[in-house]
Amino acid sequence: MAVSVADIRDKFRNPGPAELELIARYAMLPENGQRERAFDAFAATGLPHRRMEAWKWTDFKAALKSVEASKASAAFEALPSGDHSVIEFSAGGVKLPTNLPEGIKLHPRDQAQSLGNAENIPLGAMTAALAGRVGGMDSLIIEVTGEAAAPLHIVCKGDRDETNFARVAVIARPGASIDLVESHLGGAGFSSFLIEIGMQEGGQVRRTILQRGAEDEAQAITGVVTLGEKSHYVQTALAFGAKIARIETRVTHQESESHAEMNAAYLCADGFHADLTSHVRHGAPSSVTRQLTKGAVMNGGTGVFQGKFHVPRTVGQYTDADMQHQALLLEEGAAVFAKPELEIYADDVECAHGNTSGALDENQLFYLRQRGIPLAQARAMLTEAFIAEALEEASESVAEAMLEAAQTFLAETR
Amino acid sequence: MAGMLNLHDLTAQVGEGDDAKTIINGLSLEVPAGEVHAIMGPNGAGKSTLSYVLTGRPGYEVLGGTAELSGEDVLEMDPEERAAKGLFLSFQYPVEIPGVPVMTFVRTAMNAQRKARGEDEISAPEFIKLSREIAGKLNLTPDMLKRPLNVGFSGGEKKRLEIYQMMMLAPRFAILDETDSGLDIDALRTVAEGVNALRSPDRGMLVITHYQRLLDYIKPDKVHVLANGKIIKTGGPDLAHRLEAEGYDGVLGEAA
Repeated sequence: MAVSVADIRDKFRNPGPAELELIARYAMLPENGQRERAFDAFAATGLPHRRMEAWKWTDFKAALKSVEASKASAAFEALPSGDHSVIEFSAGGVKLPTNLPEGIKLHPRDQAQSLGNAENIPLGAMTAALAGRVGGMDSLIIEVTGEAAAPLHIVCKGDRDETNFARVAVIARPGASIDLVESHLGGAGFSSFLIEIGMQEGGQVRRTILQRGAEDEAQAITGVVTLGEKSHYVQTALAFGAKIARIETRVTHQESESHAEMNAAYLCADGFHADLTSHVRHGAPSSVTRQLTKGAVMNGGTGVFQGKFHVPRTVGQYTDADMQHQALLLEEGAAVFAKPELEIYADDVECAHGNTSGALDENQLFYLRQRGIPLAQARAMLTEAFIAEALEEASESVAEAMLEAAQTFLAETR
Repeated sequence: MAGMLNLHDLTAQVGEGDDAKTIINGLSLEVPAGEVHAIMGPNGAGKSTLSYVLTGRPGYEVLGGTAELSGEDVLEMDPEERAAKGLFLSFQYPVEIPGVPVMTFVRTAMNAQRKARGEDEISAPEFIKLSREIAGKLNLTPDMLKRPLNVGFSGGEKKRLEIYQMMMLAPRFAILDETDSGLDIDALRTVAEGVNALRSPDRGMLVITHYQRLLDYIKPDKVHVLANGKIIKTGGPDLAHRLEAEGYDGVLGEAA
């Protein structure tokens, strides 16, 4: 090892105990230029914190005082895998499926590939630098060559581990399509997952995410998605949060007539924090983005929505984009922070956004109760109906299970 | 008191603090099992307020008097408890519930009531059979029952859906709050047929209406006139005709 821990530490401003631990881990890895660039990008900010605009409501530095094993192994169930091929990432390594459906090829990489835009995604950069080395693999490339015959299911799940870092790249070849399901279940003090999705002409990716961690865990899920001509990306997330959890997605419409749909529902109980952050760049004309985020938060829970559409002057012409965020504050003491942003420089575009928050409707509650439905059940029913709209585009193979997970949660916490 | 529904000297207010307004003011009424009584009255008389007070809507506070259903004090019960005891309100303005299909909603309500009464849940085939039968009588299509409750339904469809729910839940005592408003003649007849089908010796009903028209189809045993928060006149079905002919002013003037 040529670089010393001290040299690396100097790149950080005021590293805390958690950052020192991450530095120590990095120092143990063999040298690699790509890793180094990624880690430098991470070092520029360290663990993101509230003094950074994009992280003002989701302070990982404060939440991660140190890197400690979580108290319990992942207690939550993955989405049902049925006929899926399952890839499981844990602290101990990765389990690859023995059988792959037609149209999917896996390429384990023992060398990290470069990460674009790393300076904007500190936890993505950290993951690119630290992921892998278990099973001699830095990252996994999933190549989709045709119409994938069955869904591919990625499970990230720890067992009282300190960390679980994983990195995956997906390349959808022209006209290829894949149904990608992800279960992020925690079980580690700090889980971080980085996925880069490149879609070539006419490619189709449907990504369905379940995020659920424990009250003493930090979880980051970072997605970087590039859309080719007439490609179609559909993302649906259901987040229950953790001590701190963030699902961040950066989408670029790279070629014209691409279509992105990004929906999410978050449900936060007391002590849980779920952050849904997205950045969409309309870097090519006639691209479409549809985004619907719905959340319901209880006393002591925190929901965060940050959405940005960036439409540059020339290339963003004929953009058609809509962003909606609606939150239910179920009880006094619930917190929801929202920042919808449209940054539009092109002059012939249709962009809209809406942002609302409120309580359950008293008239609706009374109507349900008059029919004999007890108050708590009525509240759960209305909350489920409220968020369900955001889950409608989930992979058919798990759509029902997503709703059931929400139902069970609402029944148990009401 | 012999009634199934017994109201004695009921006084209730809407709103809180300085905005509080007494709307029901010493109202007494008896509806025996097996009878249908009509309540008529001018705007602002307290007709809808009475239906909300009886069903326990939050925001309506009872200041005095009693309300009993089959000898049980309902005023101390939560709205859902009253429903499980068999009290049903057909809403004047049925509420839209996006995301909850009609069938899911009614089945949930039915099972919640059964659970509260210590009864077994209704089985899916049983429920579907019953639903099909009742929907047929009310000209509701299976497709309508799969749609979210009251969302995108016309005024008349919403009222038919209220009656569908009433027939499904088969309450002991039903309050119909201006069920005729927004209905054309054909829909009115359909709704009235549904209501009449539910008339039985062990069920009571209170039909609240502005107009006599509904009472041509649902023949009441008694007609009460509600004004200023109390019953000021009670009579047979002919009272409704007199109100129609002479107006509230004529009849009230005579009572005062």
